[in-house]
Amino acid sequence: MSRFLIKRPLPHGGRLVERVVRDPERAKKMIKGCPTYDIKPTLHYESEVPVRNVYREIMSICYGFFSPVEGSMSQAEVERILKERRLLNEWIFPYPLVFDISKEDFKKLGVGSGDRLVLNLKGKPFAILDIEEVWEISDTEELADKTFGTPEDNPEVVREKFNKKHPGWVIYKSLNPIVLAGKYTIINEPIFRPPFDRFWYPPRKAREEFDKRGWRTVINHQTRNVPHVGHEFLMKNAAFTGDLEPCHGILVNAIIGVKRRGDYPDEAIVEGHEAVNTGGYIKNSRHLPTICLWDMRYGNPLESLLHGIIRQNMGCTHHMFGRDHAAVGEYYDKWSTQILWNEGIPSFGFPAPPTDVPYGLEIRPQNMREFSFCPTCKEMAYSETCGHEREKLSGSFLRGMVAQGVQPPSIIMRPEVFKVVVKWWKHFNYPFCNEKYVINKEKELEVDLKDL
Amino acid sequence: MADYFIDVLLDEGRLKAIQEAGLGDQIKYRFAGELKLVEVHVSEDTKNKVLQEFDTARTDSRNAITDVPVAFLRELYHQVVAKKSLGDDAVLAVLEKSAEIKDLAAKESEFLPAPEID
Repeated sequence: MSRFLIKRPLPHGGRLVERVVRDPERAKKMIKGCPTYDIKPTLHYESEVPVRNVYREIMSICYGFFSPVEGSMSQAEVERILKERRLLNEWIFPYPLVFDISKEDFKKLGVGSGDRLVLNLKGKPFAILDIEEVWEISDTEELADKTFGTPEDNPEVVREKFNKKHPGWVIYKSLNPIVLAGKYTIINEPIFRPPFDRFWYPPRKAREEFDKRGWRTVINHQTRNVPHVGHEFLMKNAAFTGDLEPCHGILVNAIIGVKRRGDYPDEAIVEGHEAVNTGGYIKNSRHLPTICLWDMRYGNPLESLLHGIIRQNMGCTHHMFGRDHAAVGEYYDKWSTQILWNEGIPSFGFPAPPTDVPYGLEIRPQNMREFSFCPTCKEMAYSETCGHEREKLSGSFLRGMVAQGVQPPSIIMRPEVFKVVVKWWKHFNYPFCNEKYVINKEKELEVDLKDL
Repeated sequence: MADYFIDVLLDEGRLKAIQEAGLGDQIKYRFAGELKLVEVHVSEDTKNKVLQEFDTARTDSRNAITDVPVAFLRELYHQVVAKKSLGDDAVLAVLEKSAEIKDLAAKESEFLPAPEID
């Protein structure tokens, strides 16, 4: 075998975390006599609209997307993450993840270290939290600032002080003060509603699917958007990396969570990506759209680190990163994600790239520039190889076109993808997420639960 | 040279009105001629006002202002024709009608008719 062949990486931390009890009888015994708590969404500290639901973190932790994280973090772990972006077991990780409750709820519950708390979702038992520590966040604004960085502390990449216009910063600022730290275990597996059910490939299942398809090398495409042809070319061309041959598979992993008004509905995003392969633009046998539950923090380089962890855990060998990766506004340098993966960001604890530090990642970054339409070449062209003046394409430009009811030219959005957009437009009476969609989504979530 | 711009898409009716307003030479043909539009130039100050006034508005990688309400874009087209201008003055005239546009935007975010496609 050639020494240039790339092997699938082990999960981050060496093993996949799987904390899901599938035997209902065992689950019933585990929760007998335990206090219960109904999971509540995190509400915006001013407007009180939902900005996060911790159930998504519990799902992603227990199914292993965030391996080796196993639960809500202790105070020492959060402090270490904010200082060095490392867990207490040394493995790199970008964000604090906590189970937070109000002082009133804490008082009512009367729980403490050593107690087991049953977490209900939509009125049904969903998971347990084995409490190891109770601690208090002294200042959520300080936590939010430290989570994302400041121009003073992180001058390599942070360009503006974070504020309430940044949805990730708002999540941390809006947290309740009491943290119950400890491991989560899902004791009643939620059932995904269509269309999300067919895109649910938690890490073990994703790895099994790659085996079934004979994929040794897999490149991931991060998305929170309906794909335009620029995305399609990015996927196809980035996949030419690999080892002796181009990557065997292209994994599309859509982040599903709280939405912002103006985004496409999640349903249109996942089915839009599926339409790329049902339309034959990327062969079905080489393309797999999937989902991961997470309320985006929009932390650009930090978010890219989480993406690297999620996709390595899913079994990917490569990850494509572009300009303004998982960014909103101009808080970070446009290229901060690529800076992180090229050279590291010392002030965030990375004197070298995340792949070159101890207890780092194995997934290979594929830093890409942009594809846009070249009227001279008469095709989508790569910014670094095409020598002509090109017509830049942006998702927002397309959204504007769609909103005005103009069908995008097939050269920039495939008609099969536009059909999906219109299908969900008719369903929700609006092509994008409006207030009604955002509120209903957080009420209904992506899953239902059976009685236990 | 303006810092930012807003695209106004043109169908056949709009194309004629833009030509009659004497702006025909400003029409741009994009994506192999499949899309026709004019670009309204926006200064930094005016861009900030638009972003402040409409919370979904953002700028994209082309320096275009996007994600404004459809009612905003409709009014912008009318102001371009009325003022025979593709400059900041057209956008400032739209901003004067912000309250009206916000009302329309609230309604359009409840229901926007989907196009019928094959």
